[in-house]
Parts: sequence; C-alpha cells; structure tokens
Amino acid sequence: MRKKLFVLLVTGLILVPFLMGTATAETLKIGTLSPLTGPYAADGNDIVNGVKAAVTVVEAEGGIPGFDKIEVHPQDTACDPRQAVAAANKLINEEVVGVIGAYCSSSTIPASEALAEENIPMITPASTNEKVTERGLPYMFRMCGRDDDQSKIAGAFIKDYLKAKTIYLVDDKTTYSQGLAENVANVVQGLGIKVVAHDHVNQGDKDYSAVLTKIKDANPDVFYMSLQNSATGSLMAIQAKRFGLKCKIVSQDAVYHPQFISIAKEAAEGVYMTFGFTDKSKPAYKKYLAAYSGTHGEPGAYSGYSYDGAMVLLTAIKNAKSTDPAKIKAEIMKMDMDGASKHIKFMENGDSGSDYIIYTVAGGQFKNFWNPATGQLF
Amino acid sequence: MEFFLQQLINGLTLGGIYALIALGYTMVYGIIQLINFAHGEFFAAGGYMGVILLSYLAGQGYMETHPWLCMGGAMLLAMLFCSFLAMAVEKVAYLPLRKSSRLAALVSALGMSIFLSNGLMLTQGVYDKPYPTEFSQGGLEFGMITISYLQMMIVAVTIVLLVVLNILVFKTRIGKAMRATAQDKVMSALVGINSNRVISLTFAIGAGLAAAAGIMVGIYYGSVNYTMGFVPGIKAFAAAVLGGIGNITGAMLGGLIIGMVEIFGAGYISGQYKDVFAFIILILVLYFRPTGIMGENVDDTRV
Repeated sequence: MRKKLFVLLVTGLILVPFLMGTATAETLKIGTLSPLTGPYAADGNDIVNGVKAAVTVVEAEGGIPGFDKIEVHPQDTACDPRQAVAAANKLINEEVVGVIGAYCSSSTIPASEALAEENIPMITPASTNEKVTERGLPYMFRMCGRDDDQSKIAGAFIKDYLKAKTIYLVDDKTTYSQGLAENVANVVQGLGIKVVAHDHVNQGDKDYSAVLTKIKDANPDVFYMSLQNSATGSLMAIQAKRFGLKCKIVSQDAVYHPQFISIAKEAAEGVYMTFGFTDKSKPAYKKYLAAYSGTHGEPGAYSGYSYDGAMVLLTAIKNAKSTDPAKIKAEIMKMDMDGASKHIKFMENGDSGSDYIIYTVAGGQFKNFWNPATGQLF
Repeated sequence: MEFFLQQLINGLTLGGIYALIALGYTMVYGIIQLINFAHGEFFAAGGYMGVILLSYLAGQGYMETHPWLCMGGAMLLAMLFCSFLAMAVEKVAYLPLRKSSRLAALVSALGMSIFLSNGLMLTQGVYDKPYPTEFSQGGLEFGMITISYLQMMIVAVTIVLLVVLNILVFKTRIGKAMRATAQDKVMSALVGINSNRVISLTFAIGAGLAAAAGIMVGIYYGSVNYTMGFVPGIKAFAAAVLGGIGNITGAMLGGLIIGMVEIFGAGYISGQYKDVFAFIILILVLYFRPTGIMGENVDDTRV
C-alpha cells in the first residue's frame, strides 16, 4: 500500500511541470532591451512603446493562435554593455521567444552574443554600427540602416549639395557616434574635402562653449555633429547659434527626434540630418500612427522601427505556428511587405537595407530635404 | 587673442556655476564633516522647479511682458523650494545618523542621491524638459567675441550670491553661530546655539545656491534632464576639494579653476581630455597641499 502511494506521489510530481507547462504556454512573451534609465532613457522608452503598440495591433486583429495573450517584458540596458548582458540573461530566464533591442550599438553587440547561445531571435530597431550584423549570428536582424551607408549619404550631400571644401567633426565617444564620425571623415576625405579637425566631447556634458569657439575660429564650411542623443544635439545646436557659427550643421539619425526641435526651437532650423526614409502616405504607417499616438503620444525617432521589429517577430510566429527559432527565421526571411517605417525585406546577413535621406528642420518640423538617389530636393 | 578672451568668458560662466554648487558641498562638510552626495540632485531639482514655474508663467503670457522679473521670481521660488527639500532630506537621512559612524551617513547620502534622481525621473519623465526662453539668443558682439546676455546674467548673479553669502557667514549672528557650530558642536551648544537648527540652515543655504545654479543652467543651456545633477555634482565636489573642503572662499576659487581648466583644456588641447586636465590639476594641488588651496588643518574645521 505504502509503495503504491509512493509511486502515485512520484508520478504526480513528475506530472506537475507538464501540467504547469500547458497552463503557462498560452502566454507569448517577447522581451525588449533598451535604456530605460540614464541619459538615453527617452529613446529607450520610445522603443518599448513601439513594441507595445505593435502588440496592441496584433491582439486587436485576433492575436496569435494558440496563445491567450502577448506579454512584453521590458529590460533596462542603461546603454551599458555589462548591464545589457545581465538584462539579456534575465530575458533568457523569463523564457522570451524573441527580443526587440537594444538601442546603443555598444549594448546590442554583447547582448546579442548572450541571446545567440540560446538561439533567441533579436531584432534591433536602432543600432546602426556595421558590426551588429557582420558577426555571422544566425538570429540577429536589423530594422534600421547601417552607418557605412549613412556616412556615404552624408558625404554625398556635403559634397554635391553643400559644395563644402572643409569640415569639422565632433563626436561624443560612443561606439556609435565615434564610429560614424570616423566613417564620415573617411568618406569626405575620399571626395577631396579637407577635414579641419575631429574633436570629441564627453557624454553628459552640457557646456560645449570651448569646442564651439574652436569651430568658430576654424570657420569650416560644414560642422558634422555626431552625438548619441537628441537632447545633447539640441544643446549643441543652441550654443552654436548663440556663438554665431556660420557653417552648415549636418547631423545623424540619433539627433532625429521631436525632442531635438522642442528643446532647440529656432536654433534647430536649418540643421540637416540623415535618417531612414518613411513614406507617411502608406496605410501601414497610418495604422501604426493611430495605434501609437493614441496611448503613447508623438512617436520618437525609433518608435517606428521598434513597431516594425515587433510586427516582424509576431507575424513570423503567427505564420510559423511555432516559436521554434529556425521556423521563425524561415518566416522572417520570406517576408516582403510594407512596414510602418520602410519596406521590409531581409537580406542574408539580417540587414533590411538602408534608405537614408537628408532631412532638415523648417518651421519647427522635420522635412524631407534631399534625395540621394536622384541628387534632387524633395 | 580673441580666441583666448572668448574662452576666458566661457570659463568664467562655467566656473561660476561650479562655484555655486561647490559651496553646498563645502558648507555641509565644514559643519558636520559629511560629503553630501545628494547635493547634485538639489541642483537638478532647482532646474526642474525653474522649468515648471517658467512654463506656467509663459502659459499665462507673463514671459513675453516681464521676462527678467519672471526669471528672478522663479529663481527665488526654486531656491526656496530646494532649501526646504534639503532640510527635509537632512531630517530624514542625516539627522538620525548624527551619532553613528561617518560612513553610515555617507552611504545614506548616496542612497538619497539615487532616490532623488529616480524620484525626478518618475515624476517628471525621462525626456528633457525645454525651458520656455525664447529671447535667450541676444548678446553683445565685439568683433569675434560674443558675450550673451545670459552669460553676463550668470556671472552677475553668481557674484551677487557669493557676496551675500560672505556677508551672511562673516558679518551676521547666524553666520557666527554657523562658524561656532563648525568649530565645536558641544561647546557652541553650551553657549546656547541650537546646533540642529544651524545645521539645517546650512543645508538650506547650500541647496538654495545649487538651485540657483540649476535654474541658470536650465535657462542658459535650454533644457533640464533628471540626470543633470550627476556630472556637475562630481565636478563641483572636485572643486570643493581643490579649494580646500570646508572653506567657503576655497570653494569659489576651486569652482573657477575647474571651470577655466576645463574650457582651456578643451580649447587649446582636445575636448576629449578636458576632464583629465581638470582632475590632473586636482591631483597636483592635493599632492603639494593635501588640504587643498585654502584648506588649513584637517581637524580645525570651519564652515
């Protein structure tokens, strides 16, 4: 009798995880990695909001068969490589089926290596450093463009449209901003433009008077401002205006954010920046805007790419009818559709192509300015 | 020459801000030998109070008609608010630890700093808050040199505050009580000075000055952010140590030196090494004068 009871108990215990397993399998968990605290928290929250908007849309359209609900698990990287790895490991423990993130290239690269060990698909909405997709990781995808393409477009604009002869570059020493500034320096030198100097500032600084006085003294044709953050960009633009800098300011994708205009106000006018082209007349964009702005307000620079990233992941799971990474990847590679931010079609290495154009600020708004494909104004 | 003069003006503006923040560190250290790491957060709170008040005034249309009056009023209110905040922080985080080891109070200060900066993040959001200052672009031009009205205002307000503080500490009864408490808490209590109230007041004055710096930084640079207290806090702390921690004149001098070295380091050598130069100066001074430029004996403390 006692033996029977024992056997029953053991079988019961063995069965528990299976019963629990079927009970929890009805929730689909996806993770996000982005800086939710620290100086880049604004962009980090845009990413979480973009993913949440995508989940709302998917659930409103009937959800994913086999799952009751979709849960978003946001993790904070603080744009710090070590914290990014810890956050990635936490997501692995929470058994997420895919991750949208991270923001800073310096976080995405180490975090993706931790996720790759568990074969968890990762789609970065914002990391533009080339290395992100150059490491042969099978489950690494990128929604945004690449810095080598971005710097070529910036170089072409500076040479062909601005007709500059001299350039002064400033970056704030992050993997992303410094890498991009170096790329631009190489590109423009190849085009015969003289690099007057390549200076650096520190993250977290507010005062740029010293470096701006140097630029005023050097009087270049173009001042290339490569910063990790749009708020920093607006501080620099305000001070540049106050010092009476005559040169044209060209900046990059991290500065493209509504915040840049709301802080810099009239100092933002006439600043050029490279960012991916978005066709705002497409239905996919309108659907995204309605879902996003209803609950989260005005979209940030990377909200659209995050929304698309989450859409890609959820659609792939839906089509694959499975959360098996290999099947998800097969579905992602098959995709050929219009997203909110761009046309989604992935290449073999996980990139989805760059479509940078030149934007400018006019009348307190971002305007499409110069099309590198045609070399004409919009 | 013009380049040099322009950088000198830049350095003066930045140095003035550091000096205002450094005073809070030095006064608190002088009176209770505590390095108040939450001090940078009072600076950020002042900046936020400024943006809240000025946005309200701008919404009412007063910023258009009386900009200088609005800014002055907002600055006074922000200083008042941060003084009360600092007194509350002192009551909650430092007063109960007055009798315990200094290390306990230091850890409490670090905790308070994290608490306050995250409190700012949760209540005010993660995005930068823009100041509603439209007229901030004006200034005087002498050839290549540009001095904006705001730079002049920052330097002028800093000088006024420093003079008022000096009068307060060295010429009034309150100042005498503060200096007495700094020298010997027990002895000053015996002659009838309420040391707890004096310490509270010291915190309030230090935080008020930091709040003034915060609102000026906000107006001058155009926006505030919840992390803005950290870096200037560290720099101002270095300035206080450089000048001789506990010494008011030393903190002013230290702030100016750090600001100048930073600007000239970035202007003449390279922007990426400017912090390195500031801290090399700090190390050199401490090597030859371990108590800082104006510092006296370590035991003989002063406000």
